[in-house]
Amino acid sequence: MSNTELVALLPLISFATVITIVLLAIPFWRNLKGICALSVVGLLISLATILWTTRIVPIQVTPLVLIDQYALLFMTLICLATVAVALLAYDYLKEREGQQEEFYLLLLLAALGAIVLVCSSHFASFLLGLELLGISLYALISFPIRGQATLEAALKYLILSGVASAFLLFGTALIFAALGTLSFNEMVQGFYVDVGSNRLYVMVGSALMLAGICFKLSLVPFHMWTPDVYEGAPAPVTAFVATVSKGAIFAILLRFFIWTDAYQYESILFGLGIIAVLSMLAGNLLALMQSSVKRILAYSSIAHLGYLLVAFIAGRLAGGAALAVEAASYFLVAYFITTLGAFGVVSIMSNGNRERDLDDIASYEGLFSRRPFLATAFTAMLLSLAGIPLTVGFVGKFYIFAAGVQGALASYGWSLLVALIIGSGIGLYYYLRIVFAMTKRPAATDSAATEWITIPVAGGWVMLTLTGTLLALGVYPTPLIELINSMVRSLPL
Amino acid sequence: MEAVSVPLEHGLVLAALLFSLGLIGVMVRRNLLFILMSLEIMLNSTALAFIMVGARWAKPDGQVMFMLILTVAAAEVAVGLGLLLQLHHRFRSLDTNAASHLRG
Repeated sequence: MSNTELVALLPLISFATVITIVLLAIPFWRNLKGICALSVVGLLISLATILWTTRIVPIQVTPLVLIDQYALLFMTLICLATVAVALLAYDYLKEREGQQEEFYLLLLLAALGAIVLVCSSHFASFLLGLELLGISLYALISFPIRGQATLEAALKYLILSGVASAFLLFGTALIFAALGTLSFNEMVQGFYVDVGSNRLYVMVGSALMLAGICFKLSLVPFHMWTPDVYEGAPAPVTAFVATVSKGAIFAILLRFFIWTDAYQYESILFGLGIIAVLSMLAGNLLALMQSSVKRILAYSSIAHLGYLLVAFIAGRLAGGAALAVEAASYFLVAYFITTLGAFGVVSIMSNGNRERDLDDIASYEGLFSRRPFLATAFTAMLLSLAGIPLTVGFVGKFYIFAAGVQGALASYGWSLLVALIIGSGIGLYYYLRIVFAMTKRPAATDSAATEWITIPVAGGWVMLTLTGTLLALGVYPTPLIELINSMVRSLPL
Repeated sequence: MEAVSVPLEHGLVLAALLFSLGLIGVMVRRNLLFILMSLEIMLNSTALAFIMVGARWAKPDGQVMFMLILTVAAAEVAVGLGLLLQLHHRFRSLDTNAASHLRG
């Protein structure tokens, strides 16, 4: 392996080193604050190596890993999101009983899985990344074993995620049977020669793989686990599941489709189109009936992944791939900031040694008078999720809309656009419902709604940064758009 | 001596049958231990499929994937058994219905 290749792998190597150091430090140094600081510093060092690597990309390191601008952008995003989750988790864990330091080990392992996922260019590394992420998440979801909701969430996620992985792997085996390769790069040639039983293998294999991927992305009709897991998991972990886990899997899905030119399979795209429409409509409609903030956000994330698919499907047009990557990247950045912020508020509200997270809408009543800063941040996040102008969510939605309009030129593309508009309209209602609840005066008898919440230092800074970025990128999105554009230009599209 | 090989189709059909058995097991069983076992059958059937396909193309990739799947399945079941202990500790039962309360 040459020196350049080693440098290209530095983000992965430094990440793994940090994990080893944290693993070795925990038994000797039971100090939540110290371990949290160590993890955050390690993450920042990895972030620095990512910036350093930008000079030598794109580079293919072994058949397994492709480090390019696309991978680096998502690595950066994952690292930053993990820093935010780590800081939120510190406040969340510090008042709980028992030893909580291992949380950071699992968090870093999950983040490493996500990072491996976004730079994989072979099914072996894809499987490794996916399962490293998945298995760490099972443990993370059940980490502070408290109420039975947590246990139930972890069990559901474990069983269903295992089934989804099995589907994905069986599909991969069938594709391997047809094409004789597991490397994304070599599949480009393979996809053109499909004759006889190979065509059957490719179609059945792709269907199984898509079922597995749609489960991991919680798209309708594979979304059943999402609200339960979101509700049961501790709020910082929910933020991680909603952003890093889904973002990494979406990023690799998009890369797979573009690199292997799978866009030529109209029937797969048609299936994805139906899934997108169902996700946008069902996600938004089911969110209307919820009374728990976490469940509302879960259904809203289902709908948001549906929006992302609109951009994804626009990639089938001639020259649409660049637009698809651009729109999806911007939307994902917006989605990361907003979702982390929204679950950050839930996490701060639920601090302390309580049995379950404070996620009932009723307990958010009167938040504006009790905690104006927290309520304002939450309002900004919800408006961004709804796609109101001056927030980053608006620019993201605008991109999706532009991609959808392009896609509407082709057959059935207009139905995606209609579902996007209807879904966004419905979405406005339940986001504003939470905002109105926060302005309402709480009933004096309700203890949860009158309880005093202290805003912790770390969590407060995270929320401030997220809200600031949300507004800054909403008002002046040019720097990020230019960054993404230069990334898109560097890709061989 | 001529090598006797199993046709790819036969192997894949066997793997698909095992996969379906595992899937049915996951869906109809209520005992967590059996659900985990069915899950293991599903994962191992995919490993078998990879071995068959690897043999067809005479490539080591199939066997590499087999090893990875074996590892992954073991890790998954390890966490699963940890949760199983928690479930038993809390409900004195391995019935997943006992732990099913979230709705909506």
